[in-house]
Amino acid sequence: MVASSPELSASTLQLRWSLSSMRRRIWLVSAAVVLVSLTGLVLCWLDPSVGFPLRPGLDFTGGTQIQLERNCGSSCGALKTVEVQELIRSLELPEEPDTTPPNLSAPRVQLLDGGQSLSLRLPTLTAGQGQAVIRGVEPLAGPFIEGGQAVDTIGPSLGGQLLRSSLISLLVAFSGIAVYISFRYDRRYALLALVALAHDVTIVCGLFAWLGLLLQLEVDSLFAVSLLTIAGYSVNDTVVVFDRIRERRREMEELSLSQQVDQAVSATLTRTLYTSGTTLMPLLALIFFGGSTLVWFATALAVGVVVGSWSSIALAPSLLTLWDRSRA
Amino acid sequence: MARQQGWFALVLALAISAAALLFTTPLQLGLDLRGGSQITVEVQPAGDIKRVGAEQMEAVKVVLDRRVNGLGVAESTLQTVGENQLVLQLPGEQDPTAAARILGDTALLEFRAQKPGTEADFRALRQLRSQAEAILNLREEQIRRGEETDPLDLERLGEAQSVLGLDGDMGSEEDQLRALLVKVDAEILKLLEPAALTGKQLVSAGRQPLQNNPNSWEVTLNFNGEGAEAFAELTKSIAGTDQLLSIVLDDQLISAATVGPQFKTAGISGGAATISGNFSAETARELEVKLRGGSLPLPVEVIEVRTIGPTLGAENIRRSLVAALSGLALVAVFMVFVYRLPGGVAVAALSLYALFNLAIYTLLPVTLTLPGIAGFILSIGMAVDANVLIFERIKDELRQGNTLIRSIETGFAQAFSSIVDGHLTTLISCAALFFLGTGLVKGFAATLGIGVLLSLFTALTCTRTLLRFLMGYAGLRNPSNFLPLRQISPPSA
Repeated sequence: MVASSPELSASTLQLRWSLSSMRRRIWLVSAAVVLVSLTGLVLCWLDPSVGFPLRPGLDFTGGTQIQLERNCGSSCGALKTVEVQELIRSLELPEEPDTTPPNLSAPRVQLLDGGQSLSLRLPTLTAGQGQAVIRGVEPLAGPFIEGGQAVDTIGPSLGGQLLRSSLISLLVAFSGIAVYISFRYDRRYALLALVALAHDVTIVCGLFAWLGLLLQLEVDSLFAVSLLTIAGYSVNDTVVVFDRIRERRREMEELSLSQQVDQAVSATLTRTLYTSGTTLMPLLALIFFGGSTLVWFATALAVGVVVGSWSSIALAPSLLTLWDRSRA
Repeated sequence: MARQQGWFALVLALAISAAALLFTTPLQLGLDLRGGSQITVEVQPAGDIKRVGAEQMEAVKVVLDRRVNGLGVAESTLQTVGENQLVLQLPGEQDPTAAARILGDTALLEFRAQKPGTEADFRALRQLRSQAEAILNLREEQIRRGEETDPLDLERLGEAQSVLGLDGDMGSEEDQLRALLVKVDAEILKLLEPAALTGKQLVSAGRQPLQNNPNSWEVTLNFNGEGAEAFAELTKSIAGTDQLLSIVLDDQLISAATVGPQFKTAGISGGAATISGNFSAETARELEVKLRGGSLPLPVEVIEVRTIGPTLGAENIRRSLVAALSGLALVAVFMVFVYRLPGGVAVAALSLYALFNLAIYTLLPVTLTLPGIAGFILSIGMAVDANVLIFERIKDELRQGNTLIRSIETGFAQAFSSIVDGHLTTLISCAALFFLGTGLVKGFAATLGIGVLLSLFTALTCTRTLLRFLMGYAGLRNPSNFLPLRQISPPSA
């Protein structure tokens, strides 16, 4: 490209977002949010009732969860969780060979949707014992809607495997992405893409650590899926900005790196905001209208999309200007 | 122009065949959407085998396959997952108790002869066993009904306990009875010779009602050549004596029978035998399934049981569909509002995208689960991104005063590299999830991965073809169809 071409003069004039001049403020915001997230993770870890950076759900700890849809009409509110707990404590379960009888002394009972749905968390039960619990609870909390029940039993070994396979796939995905970006761009870009990625994943984890502390929210295997998706989305977002920076570096060699970055970010700003907006629309729809199973999954993704946009239009490019020799 | 029309015809033909496919072949729904039970078992290493390999998995699967078929649940599937797990899916099944029991049982089946000179002990133990079992069953039934239990003959119990060397004061009376049964089973085994043949030599098992009493059933056995020989040898050795032929399943005597003196010379030959006892139709069926399944070469452990009711599944489908459609409607409105004519084209291309996606799900086939639907919705977001990238580039070109046709061509060309990079990095994550993840994670990775691949195709082909086709009409070749006129700088500044 020749310097006097109309494209250049047109696009160098309009700067909508002078990134390099406020990079300190950007770093401050990101550092503060990451710090709050890390605090949440550490507090959760130190909390004796959790003991992990995130509150692990049934998928990771093992146990039996029973969900029952109640056919209760206007009397849904009358049921007390304490009564259900008392009843479960007194239940006699059928013996099963080769298994130690489950300890029912501390069942967790939750009423959802204004009492229309009952959720029980128990130690690992066999299929027969699970049915026995449902029959035992029915006189008090029933009648239940036929076909409206879900029973999940997860052995403790499966939870460990799930955690391991999630972590391994996350690491493999990270290194695969790093190799791809080093190959297509260079190692600096790969490093920054991973920094942006770690930033996004940490903040989403931190939010769920705080939710775990404040609302007793647990993370399940869907949360692991959402982290992996956020990783993919965050890199996708960042790569588009990097692609434009690379293009500007070729076309506007006479500008400093900071100016090139400012130009590229301004040019991709609309695209990044529109894309985040259009990705958020179905996610918000899932949060507000989707089944209750997907609400927190969609929340994790939505937060990831917002944080991912921030890191790709602000954090990652502003860190790139660190390599700018013209700025002391 | 002819080439444009050729592409357009191809896209149209693909769309029509995809729609036709969806009308004739229904989508495969996962158990979380249509209700049913899913049981995961893990094969445990035992004895000489320290690590479970592909060969052992195959052997276990063959046995479990036979047992599952014996259950008679329509459309049940048994699949190997990972290195040492098997997943059984039972659509529509609401009470997986029986299935879990049949899967989990190792069912080590042995045919053993009773040791000579142990008749009195053997008879006494079996009698004690059946009495204790009868009393225990009665008491459990009474407890379940909330009735008063019959008084226990404590003197007789204490006597039996002291003979067997059991402690008399552990737990409730029921616990003591159970402990007694376990001890009796162990004592009975001591009176038996080592196994002459096992379930491995059994070819098939069946059941039939007795001719003279249709309420009583017998179970039939068929052995392979090696088994027939061993069985003949075994029966010959005890024919005409008081020693009983004992069938032991999982270290528990389930049946014992005398062998008549007529088999003294050759034993029961021909490799076929029947077991008659006090079988009802139901108990005969259960024994038959266990025998037919043979013995598992390795023990298995049930590690996961998930059951979901059909109405809960239907509710999930309905809500997720509403969410998906309303999200897409919002995106469509946004695209048309912001990008005008190409926005409309993108909406058409994205509708094709959704159609192709669903068609691929039925073709492969992909079983659609709730996380799978989430992956689909998310992939639509990424497909929109590709279109936004292209249209932003076209707008940039127009603002700089380029002609419409040239802007469109440059826009596609310039957006290409960032679209490919963005999609490929997402695809890398999908591949990691699909090959290393399990269950739900796999379903999500599959739909997102298919979506990302297809989005490359639709953004670079469908949108472009449709846009070029429409540009063939002079009336539409107006930059104001792309962005407000005031944003277009006059040609050549």
